[in-house]
Amino acid sequence: MKVSLKWLANYVNIKDLTAEEIAQKLTFAGIEVENILHMANGTNLVIGEIIECSMHPDSDHLHVLKVDEGKFGIEQIVCGAPNARKGLKVIVARVGAVLPKLTIAKTTIRGVESNGMCCSLLELGVEAKYLNEAQINGIEELPDDAVVGQENVLEYLGLDDVILDLKLLANRSDCMAMFNIAKEVGALFEREVIIPPLKELQVLKSEFKVNSLTNLCKQFSIREVKNIQIADSPKWLKERLMASGVRPINNVVDIGNYVMLLTGQPLHMYDFDKLPSQNLCVQSDFTGEFIALDEKTYQLQENDLVVMSDHKVMCLGGVMGSLACAVDAKTKNIVIEAANFDSKTIRHTSTRLNLISDSSQRFVKGINKDQFQYVLDLAASLLEEIASAKEIYEIKTYDELDHTPVVIDCSCREINNRLGSHFAHDLIKHTLERVGIKINNFDGDNFKALIPPHRIDIKLGADLSEEVIRLLGFEHIVSSLPKQEVTVGALKENQLKKRQIRDFLVANGFYETLNYTLVNEKLSQYFKALNDFEHYRLLHPMTEDHKIVRATLLPSLLETLKYNLSRQNKNLKLFELSDVYTKIGVESHLALIMQGEDEYRHLMQKFSFGFAHVKGIFEALMDMLAIEPTRYKLVRVSDKFKELHPGRAVEIYLGKNLVGIIGEAHPDLVKDFDLGKAPVVMLEINLTKFLEMRVSPIKVLPPSRYPAVERDLALVAKRETPVQEIIKVIKQSGHNMIRQVDIFDVYEGEHISKGYKSVALKIIYEDMTKGFTNEEISTIEKDVIQALKDKLDIKLRG
Amino acid sequence: MEDQELKEIYENAMKDIEKIDSLDSLNEVKNDYLSKKSRFMGLMAKMKELTIEGKKAFGEAINRAKNDITTKIEEKRILLEQKQLEKKLKEEEIDFTLPAVNYEIGGKNPFFIIQDEMIDIFLGMGYEIAEGPEVELDHFNFELLNIPKDHPARDMQDTFYIDENTLMRTHTSPVQARVMQEKKGKPIKIICPGKVYRRDDDDATHSHQFGQIEGLVVDKNITLSNLKATLELFIKKMYGEKREIRLRSSYFPFTEPSVEVDVSCDCGGKENCSKCKGTGWIEILGGGMVHPNVLKMSGYDPNEYQGFAFGVGIERVAMLRYGIDDIRRFYQNDVRFLSQFKRK
Repeated sequence: MKVSLKWLANYVNIKDLTAEEIAQKLTFAGIEVENILHMANGTNLVIGEIIECSMHPDSDHLHVLKVDEGKFGIEQIVCGAPNARKGLKVIVARVGAVLPKLTIAKTTIRGVESNGMCCSLLELGVEAKYLNEAQINGIEELPDDAVVGQENVLEYLGLDDVILDLKLLANRSDCMAMFNIAKEVGALFEREVIIPPLKELQVLKSEFKVNSLTNLCKQFSIREVKNIQIADSPKWLKERLMASGVRPINNVVDIGNYVMLLTGQPLHMYDFDKLPSQNLCVQSDFTGEFIALDEKTYQLQENDLVVMSDHKVMCLGGVMGSLACAVDAKTKNIVIEAANFDSKTIRHTSTRLNLISDSSQRFVKGINKDQFQYVLDLAASLLEEIASAKEIYEIKTYDELDHTPVVIDCSCREINNRLGSHFAHDLIKHTLERVGIKINNFDGDNFKALIPPHRIDIKLGADLSEEVIRLLGFEHIVSSLPKQEVTVGALKENQLKKRQIRDFLVANGFYETLNYTLVNEKLSQYFKALNDFEHYRLLHPMTEDHKIVRATLLPSLLETLKYNLSRQNKNLKLFELSDVYTKIGVESHLALIMQGEDEYRHLMQKFSFGFAHVKGIFEALMDMLAIEPTRYKLVRVSDKFKELHPGRAVEIYLGKNLVGIIGEAHPDLVKDFDLGKAPVVMLEINLTKFLEMRVSPIKVLPPSRYPAVERDLALVAKRETPVQEIIKVIKQSGHNMIRQVDIFDVYEGEHISKGYKSVALKIIYEDMTKGFTNEEISTIEKDVIQALKDKLDIKLRG
Repeated sequence: MEDQELKEIYENAMKDIEKIDSLDSLNEVKNDYLSKKSRFMGLMAKMKELTIEGKKAFGEAINRAKNDITTKIEEKRILLEQKQLEKKLKEEEIDFTLPAVNYEIGGKNPFFIIQDEMIDIFLGMGYEIAEGPEVELDHFNFELLNIPKDHPARDMQDTFYIDENTLMRTHTSPVQARVMQEKKGKPIKIICPGKVYRRDDDDATHSHQFGQIEGLVVDKNITLSNLKATLELFIKKMYGEKREIRLRSSYFPFTEPSVEVDVSCDCGGKENCSKCKGTGWIEILGGGMVHPNVLKMSGYDPNEYQGFAFGVGIERVAMLRYGIDDIRRFYQNDVRFLSQFKRK
């Protein structure tokens, strides 16, 4: 909404206020002024008359002018405008003038001195949409009665206006009307608002009939106005429309727009003589084609509001009129409509057909339902004044609206309790009255507030509290913390564990990433087996890239890895902990990815990130979550995960449930994401499943008082025997005396038969109740070796 | 010491010890003077010729000499050992400017730094952390927040729908409604952090996904003045004690009155400040008193209970704190960006 301060000044005295002061007050009261605009700009302007005009000796289009500038004398100006001619009164920007896009200096153009510039309105900053072709291509032609030497040119042109550009929020649709802006400014500065009274109209009896057959329009009124003369609007009307961002067309159309800008009530004008009958009826059951004013054909459907005459659609109510009965240059007689159309219906229709206009927007946000008579009177009197209307007819109305005013039962206590304030009765009453609320009965602390009809946003006591504080200013709220029972703020168990996991990963060199939840089709298909339920898909995605709600995290991390690699970032350790969604529900997942080398760990000691790194992270996480290795199972990856190296990846199971993977990327996946040569290793787990596991509380065992004994064994096992199995057998056969088994070397090659491997390990024996003799250790060791031989066909090496 | 020979041996011993410069030669000298075959053994022949008294005195003199030599040798040994250690240490000297063993720590995306920090501030004030789904029902995202179907305010938050009733939440406010239904009329003090989604083209200042932290306090006698004080405390913790806030009237369908909250800029009134555009104030969050309809719909009697709510954008807070120029950086995860957040 654009508010002309010149226009506003007709209804409330703002002479002593700057635009900035008004803007500031409005903004703090909830009506944000986004911009302060000027219709036109320019200093050092003067009205001049061209007294000599000759061709430039060295140009085929430039003129050399002698311009009389009154008291500033006669100046020579070189001018390129085709319409420069002797006798023309023009706007001169004198040397030193500052215009929106240039500063005027004394100059020489192709050898001829030029002192100033003759201007077009475009050069003064007027938007091209308000100007005709001649005005855009040439200098502005002032009327013959313009006074040479006059300096306040912008004022003379009516272009000295300052415009407040409002960004209205959904609750203050009333401010889409100049009268209501005036009331708001009046309330904020505590100034009287004067709405000029209308003169009495002489009205004729009308035969016209109106009706509504739908609940979606409860009030529909028209007035015939006949014998009008279509012409250009007067200068003042054009100026007001232009200042409001509306292009002037002709007096009748302009009056419609002007009345809407002033009152907020959209009007529609029909050419009376083009209507098939003297009958207009609102319906919502029409389906079929409709040719609108813009000469386009629209497909209408049930629940679009239409105004019918003799079974033909004359107007798509509140949205656009029909071409068939449009007002044109030949129109003599008109019918003006002021109706109240259902806002939801207009919202649906206008968005569906993409026909969003000043009118439709006002209906969508809601209009003052009590002013249609005033509005039709105002329109008629303007038509009489400006369009020489000779016959004004009475208003014909269909009205089933409830016009009972809104009365709110409230109390000062309620307002103060909400605000945490101590405002006195009188102050509250006085403040509410500033916005036109009437407070009649003060019954002790209680009162009844009568709400003016344009403030459709005020419905409850809470709304009144807002009026009080926005008018008085929020600086009157004194801060005080809530007085409540003390509560302990602490992360819940799962929240705390997630925080610890993230901190652990960061401490171990990982970067925590944030990725988009909405992914493309391709990404959504990777690692699907990890969360293999139907994806959520957007109904109307904005782009192909963001249309499916991701069910796993690794695809995003792979993209992130690719992004970094393409920027020469190396040795990457990335993770994300986030919720993921399928139609079955929500889960928290943790994913991490590593590629490159620990290359700077120290000098020559480099090694590539591999499976063991990620497995190590996983085991550390399980330690943090107190989940014993016996409670989960790592199984060599199956062919559900085509993304993973079949020999270097595992699936993680809790019971029968697949809850994650650890592994190296399959070469195909590396190619898909263009991830370079170094192996990419990764993990993704369904963290929710791990967090749901019950873990026993810490129960401390005292360390053994007796020394532990360490013994090394060198074994030869079949290549495919997992070391995990070896450790398991050792522990099982160790008389419960083996605390720990550490593998310290695995070797294949020279001295070891093909198909076998050497495994060197250290066994730590410990007893809580006594020390060991060598004989005791040897006995246990013998049993261990026997068990290894029996169960896994393992021999001692050497 | 009367015996010339003894005297000679003694003085030679002292001289020899003096000259020694290695532990090995020290041991040789020790052998020379103190072993069973030492030079003192030659003196034993003389003993036979002496009186008992003479024997005693001579024996004592030899012992004294031997003791002195032993002491001298041990002193010398300590000295030499010390020298040897010094030499060894000298040899072990390293170039301390060589690269260290790398315990590289990672870093959090600043989105999470700010989210964690805000959570911690409110935990300190006794708040609980509530969470809710990002794929949300229209019912919680709009209806229960006083935004019925076709309400013009729905235009304020253009929504990604999944089906007629399901959507990507446009704010963290639906968690409010969920918590209220759960708490069934008991006091509430929560914040809800999380990701939210709106139909927006991604550019430097817009993102179709962003983070929000929502706060909600419901109890008897909660007032706008409580909200102001709470936000003041929060802003001072977040941005420093010198910061101030100011409230402007605004509109959200689920609060009444509604406010926009500005925080004072730290630029000291620079005219071309990129944060506050020279106004001295930065718009940072929105809030207000919970609308009576919202309380009522979730089972709270608005005549008995009042509440305040506020919402703050996570990226916006981070961008202001760290001077981040483009919201897309949070989602690119370029490690050259992330590695600047090893500390907060």
